[in-house]
Amino acid sequence: MRRAAATIWDTKIQCVCSVVTAREGDDVELWMCGNFGQVSLGEPRIAVNPNRQYPIERAIRRERRFAIGVFSRAQRDLAIRLTRTRRRSPNKAAGIGMQLAQDEKHRIPYSPDCFRTLFCEAEDILDTGDHTLVIARVLETRVRQGWEKQRPLLYAEISGTPARYPRLNRALQWLVAASGAKERIQRYLEKRRGIRTVNLAANTYEDGGQTDAEIRLIESAGLRDTSRIIAPPERAPAVLRRRVPVCVVGVGQWGAFHCRLFRTADPRVELYICGRNRERAERLAAATGAKGVILGLERAVEDSRIEAVSLALPHHLHKEAAVLAAQAGKHTLVEKPIALALSDADAMIEAAREAGTILMVAEDMQYRPAIRAAAKMIDAGDVGEPLYLMAHGGGSMRPRGWKADPELMGGGILMDMGVHYVRAMRLLMGEPDDALATRAMQIDTKTLGEDSVQVLFRSHFGWQAHILLSWAGPHGHSPDVIVCGDRGVLHLWPARNYIDLYPAQQRLLPQLLSYVRPPWLAERLIKPEMQRVRRKVAGDDRQGYLTEVREFLAAVTEGREPASPAEDARRDLEIVLHSYESMRTGVWVKTAVEPSTLAQAL
Amino acid sequence: MVVTSAYLSGSVVESPVGILLTEAGDRRNAMTISFFSEVAHHPTTLWISVAQGRYSGELLDSSGRFTLVVLHAGQRELAWRCGTISGRDADKFSRLRTHRGPEDYLYLDDGIAGAACRVRSSRPAGEHILYIADIVGGEVETRNSLKRTLITRDLL
Repeated sequence: MRRAAATIWDTKIQCVCSVVTAREGDDVELWMCGNFGQVSLGEPRIAVNPNRQYPIERAIRRERRFAIGVFSRAQRDLAIRLTRTRRRSPNKAAGIGMQLAQDEKHRIPYSPDCFRTLFCEAEDILDTGDHTLVIARVLETRVRQGWEKQRPLLYAEISGTPARYPRLNRALQWLVAASGAKERIQRYLEKRRGIRTVNLAANTYEDGGQTDAEIRLIESAGLRDTSRIIAPPERAPAVLRRRVPVCVVGVGQWGAFHCRLFRTADPRVELYICGRNRERAERLAAATGAKGVILGLERAVEDSRIEAVSLALPHHLHKEAAVLAAQAGKHTLVEKPIALALSDADAMIEAAREAGTILMVAEDMQYRPAIRAAAKMIDAGDVGEPLYLMAHGGGSMRPRGWKADPELMGGGILMDMGVHYVRAMRLLMGEPDDALATRAMQIDTKTLGEDSVQVLFRSHFGWQAHILLSWAGPHGHSPDVIVCGDRGVLHLWPARNYIDLYPAQQRLLPQLLSYVRPPWLAERLIKPEMQRVRRKVAGDDRQGYLTEVREFLAAVTEGREPASPAEDARRDLEIVLHSYESMRTGVWVKTAVEPSTLAQAL
Repeated sequence: MVVTSAYLSGSVVESPVGILLTEAGDRRNAMTISFFSEVAHHPTTLWISVAQGRYSGELLDSSGRFTLVVLHAGQRELAWRCGTISGRDADKFSRLRTHRGPEDYLYLDDGIAGAACRVRSSRPAGEHILYIADIVGGEVETRNSLKRTLITRDLL
């Protein structure tokens, strides 16, 4: 049966699949290309048509030299990953696990795994609408040794949604086509709806074309989103090489928690407890199997048996304790927030630098497996372009003691919990440009710091983040971090070993059920869970606390910087302090990086 | 593009193979082509590259319109037939089964899909002429939708 082609993709003029690579500053820009072809023979030329909304177009225009790596059928999965990768991601190769090399002869980056590589130099660059037609001379063609007989991967073999069971999917498609069922259904639908005129150009524009005005709109948020400068560690810390004698400073609830973490992270750990109250310290030491008790931080840092201290102290004591520990040559793990003021944080970082000791801030978001998995899924393009992050934390709590005093606490819930979610935002979305903070009425009047706050962050790269924190009441069963993109939504649950993805494209079951009539029955049958893809997150450390302590111990034993340097925690604090300023003034406040040790490090 | 051993050995990359149908007045021709691809989605355009002096190029310059039909792997013989002899020397068209589409463009009866095009611009590219054309319509043969595209390697 013949039918009118509805779009340009129906005409099947797309060719073999390839990866186009070009230098983009210190990075390499990639593009999955299904549209290139040879133009001339004698002096071989090729034509390739990068989309103007893809950063590769600018990279080719600027550099004029690029490579085309032709995929073989064996590279189908890699090609699909490249197709799905985030358009504005600055580091695509790492995100999809593609190996790249630099060809020294032509000074062009390329993928050595492709079975054929064309090194090209642009001769003519034609403005042809929403794509740019580049006509290039082929400088050299190289075939990977031993891969000469490989068949190239055809665009038709990867187009459409990748099936969960490709063979079964293909068999079903063949059955439907061969039995004539597809044609009969199409004829029936045409008869029922009446044959409509197909406008190929209009449909193509609707499905994937852009006018100049639309491209300008896309460009206004940047063709590359370089706002993300920190990332979760790639893997869990290595096995500890030796025992580290650690002194946990602080005998409160959090001090006890630190003891448990160190004991679990390394059952052989040599643990000491430091407090001002002997009875409480001895009780904690007995409960955690600590080797000894030391009264007073000054004695603990001078104790030659101790190599590292873990500070579980009120916020206002962080600076003094960390500086003291560094000056005594002790490696330090300090609870978040790093300090109450940026100058204090700088003094702590400087003291550790001068002493050559490690200063690490206990920020579990950095090591939370779900955050790591979400960052990977964002890089892989599972949510498309991340547009919004919504974070929600807190729960019913009535802080007392130093936590109720903003002078000692540094504020309220924003200082206490805000740093966590600011880190989550930075890991998943990037560095914000501005913050606007506001708060609801105070419920707990015995607490002088705010017990509720909302902060809206925005970036000139086109994304926004909303952090809502409240100790005023429970927030029920809901994810604490949600990332919304144009291709899907991620739900991250606190203390769960899974992560939920809701793809924008309707899954098979809800799609089938949407045809059920009457409509009210379809509404009853379709459940939101049917659209959910639940992915297990590896490891039993659901919140990341344990990994964080292991990382500290590993950094001490290996004599290296931890995966999250203290400068990252200083930046979290800086953003929180700007949010406080916005809460006071009621206007947007710039959260740009202040000139400091951190700025130099970045 | 006439399929010769020089052509195949000069190919730097595997490409899909199609048939270029051209007509100007009462003259018609069918030529095997593998130098073509997409240009843009808005406007919806493609490019083809034809060696200078070809009969199809002459008809194209005269009429400004053509149809590009993408072949499936079972049409190797057809690709050879239309790619090894010039339309000036033989009437290749008479042996083809064709029909007219709604835009009054010629289409091949078999094949995977076809695109009816109107030339927008042309420019020399080495010994070839590159034509950029608007796709004004197209046709899909659903019976062949699962068949693999014929590629240049299949002709070796």
